[in-house]
Amino acid sequence: MSVPTAPARYRCPWCGAETDPHNTSCPACGSPVDVRATVATDSGWYELPPIKDMAKLQFGQSFCQIEGMYVPVADVELAAGDRVYFTHHLLLWKDTRVVVEAMPLKGGWQRLFAGLPLIMTQAFGPGHIAFSRDEPGEMIAIPLHPGQTIDVREHVFMVATGSVQYDWFNTDIWFQTQQNSDDGPETHYPIGMYMDRFQAGQQPGLLILHGAGNVFVRTLQPGQTILIKPTALLYKDTAVNMNLHFEYPGNTWQSWRTWGNRYLWLRVTGPGRVAVQSSFTQIEDPGYNLAGWPYDTTQQQW
Amino acid sequence: MEPIQRIQCEWCQSQNPPNAVTCQACGARLDVKNLVSDSGWREAPRLKDMTEISFGASTCQMEGEIVPVAEVNLGQGDSVFFEHHVLLWKDDSVRMDVMSLQGGMKRALAGMPFIVTIATGPGRVAFSRDATGELVLLPLHPGMEMDVREHAFLLASHHINYSYTRIQGLRNILFGGQGMFMDRFVTTTTPGLLLLHGYGNVFERKLKPGESIMVEPGAFLYKDSTVTMNVETQKLKTGLFGGAGINLARMTGPGRLGIQSMYLHHHTE
Repeated sequence: MSVPTAPARYRCPWCGAETDPHNTSCPACGSPVDVRATVATDSGWYELPPIKDMAKLQFGQSFCQIEGMYVPVADVELAAGDRVYFTHHLLLWKDTRVVVEAMPLKGGWQRLFAGLPLIMTQAFGPGHIAFSRDEPGEMIAIPLHPGQTIDVREHVFMVATGSVQYDWFNTDIWFQTQQNSDDGPETHYPIGMYMDRFQAGQQPGLLILHGAGNVFVRTLQPGQTILIKPTALLYKDTAVNMNLHFEYPGNTWQSWRTWGNRYLWLRVTGPGRVAVQSSFTQIEDPGYNLAGWPYDTTQQQW
Repeated sequence: MEPIQRIQCEWCQSQNPPNAVTCQACGARLDVKNLVSDSGWREAPRLKDMTEISFGASTCQMEGEIVPVAEVNLGQGDSVFFEHHVLLWKDDSVRMDVMSLQGGMKRALAGMPFIVTIATGPGRVAFSRDATGELVLLPLHPGMEMDVREHAFLLASHHINYSYTRIQGLRNILFGGQGMFMDRFVTTTTPGLLLLHGYGNVFERKLKPGESIMVEPGAFLYKDSTVTMNVETQKLKTGLFGGAGINLARMTGPGRLGIQSMYLHHHTE
């Protein structure tokens, strides 16, 4: 009787990287090898395969080890000449020999007014440096192939390799409310005024995010849409479009002006991947009359 | 071949009978290998739900995994002390007293608990803190001296002497992320049990004499008193705004150092 043998190569269903089938976890994104179909929900969401405690990822000559399960730590072993960048408040510890300095960013004033971190920090190897966020959740490793781009909601990004270019763009997701005719309108940004955009250049790169709670991903077909809570959005492919959607449940009076008479949604439209986190903050919608919104905003009155 | 007489716990160094699956002193599993990162940090033992340990004539059972509860079954005459806001429930029979502390005004001004409470058996009393994290059991052998971040200790057995130590240096006080004082726990001739709660995951590293590591001050959880802590500010210059700085604590050995991966301070009072 012949003994079944493992295939020569294993293709990670999460990030697409090819790896040795005898590995216990994918060296590119850390997801366990041999992820079963059970991680998909009936509705089509894929639960992020939890990165095994102490799983190691490789980028260039450097490594990243994911440690812990409740509030995981990304422990990066930088080789000489390798570089990562990050927002400074995520720094947990570092070897004394690791050099840390500010990374120049364009649009400092705009970032300041938008509440984005004004300073992006970069660290140079050799040595160890570790990062964590102050919230229970999951660490997500996203390997970026050359030329691949991904959009990430603000304050979700943890660390990226030096080969990944960083940019940011205006989301154009906003609405205005007005309490009285004498008052000026107040502008709200449900997913923030800006989003981070990461693109791998000539070399592949690694992007590490932190999702609060659990993380779920689905791939939308061209034209396929789904409504998600704006603050649950974690990241999306650049091809995925976004617009606001207001929904008014039946049997309510809009004149009540309470949050309960208006649901605020983010409509995402394929093609491409979209990821959500299960723990998200509630949006403060005072329920006042809408005074302004982008042209592509939609509404539904039941 | 000589049969194994005793198993030494690699977390707390206590001796256990050869058939033990978990350490009787700290609850660490003896049948799984340690989780140690390449950089040398060891994860605190992940305690199995409902793990029970004993100290003196009492037992302590760890319940739950996300926000775990420490349930203590106090023997006659045994007692534990704690900050009153971590108390979850207790039997009627458990007597409650207030521990006399020196420097009450200084403690009040420094934001430390003004009152430390003592629960005396017989009876059951349970404790938990209001955040996701891990319970860390540190059996203290005679002659040990341990410094703990303020408000991080959950309970200690009455054989342990409790005091506090002032953090030296204005920079350490202002930028150290934990105020003016640290709790200090000392054992003399009798061993004791110290139970901490770390936010998120807890990691420990043994620093060699003179070895240093830079740590986010808010992540510091505990250390042997031989480990020194000095906060250093590193300037991050930007052309537009003149620069900002990050504060990191230089921890220098010899001794153990414990950190927590979630370092936002949760006010519970």
